[in-house]
Amino acid sequence: MLRTIKPKNARSKRALQARESKEVEDPRTAIFVKGTHTGEKVNAAMKEMMALKRPNAISFSKKNTVRPFEDASSLEFWAQKNDASLFVVGQSTKKRPDGLVFVRMYDNRVLDMCEVGVEKWVSMNGFKTPKATPGHKSLMHFASELFDTHPRFVQLKSLLMDFFNGEVIDSICLAGLEHVISVSLGPTPTSLNTATTSNPLQPSTSTDTSDSANLPTVHVRVYGVKLLASGTRIPRVELNDMGPSMDLVLRRHTEPDQEQLKQALRRPKVRKQDVESGLGKKRKNMEVDEMGDLRGRIHVAKQDLNKLQTRKMKGLKKGRGDAFDESGESEHEADEDAQPRKRRKDS
Amino acid sequence: MDVSDILAAQAAKQKAVTVEKEIPLEVDAGFLTVTDLNPIDAESYNEDVEDYLKATARDGVQALVSALFSLPTTSSPDGPLAKLPPPTTQLPRAKPLPKPKPPTKWEQFAKAKGIQKKRKEKKVWDEEKQEWVDRWGWKGSNKKEEQQWITEVPANADADHDPVKAARDARKTKVAKNERQHKQNVARAQGSNASSAAPANSERKKQIDRTLATTRASTASMGKFDKTLEGEKKLKGVKRKFDPTEVSASAEKSHNLAILQKLDREPAMKKAKSSGGHDVLNVRKAIRSASKGKGSAALAREGGGGKMNKGRR
Repeated sequence: MLRTIKPKNARSKRALQARESKEVEDPRTAIFVKGTHTGEKVNAAMKEMMALKRPNAISFSKKNTVRPFEDASSLEFWAQKNDASLFVVGQSTKKRPDGLVFVRMYDNRVLDMCEVGVEKWVSMNGFKTPKATPGHKSLMHFASELFDTHPRFVQLKSLLMDFFNGEVIDSICLAGLEHVISVSLGPTPTSLNTATTSNPLQPSTSTDTSDSANLPTVHVRVYGVKLLASGTRIPRVELNDMGPSMDLVLRRHTEPDQEQLKQALRRPKVRKQDVESGLGKKRKNMEVDEMGDLRGRIHVAKQDLNKLQTRKMKGLKKGRGDAFDESGESEHEADEDAQPRKRRKDS
Repeated sequence: MDVSDILAAQAAKQKAVTVEKEIPLEVDAGFLTVTDLNPIDAESYNEDVEDYLKATARDGVQALVSALFSLPTTSSPDGPLAKLPPPTTQLPRAKPLPKPKPPTKWEQFAKAKGIQKKRKEKKVWDEEKQEWVDRWGWKGSNKKEEQQWITEVPANADADHDPVKAARDARKTKVAKNERQHKQNVARAQGSNASSAAPANSERKKQIDRTLATTRASTASMGKFDKTLEGEKKLKGVKRKFDPTEVSASAEKSHNLAILQKLDREPAMKKAKSSGGHDVLNVRKAIRSASKGKGSAALAREGGGGKMNKGRR
């Protein structure tokens, strides 16, 4: 553990303040660590993933003896030292060739991990197409029903979303949408299909034994997005290969600790102004119609018709006056004139 | 004019930008993510993987882009900015939620009194220099008195009165006071964090102190001529307690209103008197004249006796 530092000058104080936890978090920083041995494929994959993750990425250029699944202490140290909460550890062994371990931290401790093996790898340079500007936000696309049902893929989706798109932003420049990271799976094996549909609680034992062998391949592709004019407000989308593209197989993983996960999923209380603008809670009796107008509904108590103000005339006065006279008539006419004007204003 | 072909063209354009799927795509515009929950079509997947992946990705991205482009936008120099809704997917945080800062003494007081925080401008307008100057700090306006070349000296000033030093001291004491208060606030915040086992302990201590005080005062001289131990403190009497100066605004209001109400009400004595005076008949005087000064008891006796006598006769 690092010692707690007391800032001695304003600059270090600001630096420490920037690291303190915030209500709306900064984008996660990822550290790319090389294990004891990394092959060419892993090196290239890490390098290009870093290019996509930039500027929130730190590269450790030296080799490190790090085994995240056995001992995560050095990861925790690095996380604190660099104020990073994501790791990609590349490691290639005989038993597990071309492995990448995605590690996610919470409060400088490991939350969950997922190991993948790189099967097929095509670099960005393999496609002679224009590349996305570094630092632009990417779109993400996930395709398969397993991303909703299978716990391994739910975790993978959450990890990848956190990795590339985890930052909460309030607006985006529509012209700056340049690339999409598409994650799709191979066809769902029948074993998984039946397992997920028939009894989702049972197969945990069976999947553990033949875990990684059974799971479909994960295809990660990065496409450039071209927005073509379609004649409507919404453009037509066309994709071109940008690279990198890789096929991954799932290997080992650790689930997040339930207590820790609960802490991590805690949301800040929504601020008052946010509530007023309707972000926090559902706004009652208000809706935006198709034309983009805000429409409200008002509930009024039952009307007392006895107190209803009808046409005002001398003749209808309670106390005195039983005859209609000229002035009453003229008043009534004036009323008639006034009413349509009013109505026009309303509409 | 025939518009059917225009409409058809428009519909075709619309068709090109809409995506039809068995299971509708889940779009999380806040995270710019789309999830296609349709099962992978094994046949077309096996035919050509890359083409199939690209086709599904295009459909997904088209859905996402149409969701993004239909969001309300604001214009900016770099193009339209779409206002994103809050994300629907829950992702774990990287760090725990920040703990709320403990309020300072002033903040507590202001809250109790309902005082709104007022932002003080850092700069003030200097009439002489005709420019905005800082309130404090380098060339701050709080040092004006120390730096002016001539200062008015009060008539009763000492011979060694130094106006520059006096102004500087006044400023420095203010700074020192603020520093002291800041330290106290920090200490209080730490104390409130650490005080968990304190209540039970302090209760017991108070009890012991009370017992000790009673025994010390229970000699013939009430403890006045007793031998004192080293480090023993002088007994103190009961201190007067006052209501706290900082109570909540509503409590203070109700307290003041109660006083006003008391003032409004007529006193009980006066009320009784005045109610008697308003009557047309003064009962006391009537009794006196009827009984010829003998009082109400005599009148009752006489009246009762008289009636009885009449009945007998």
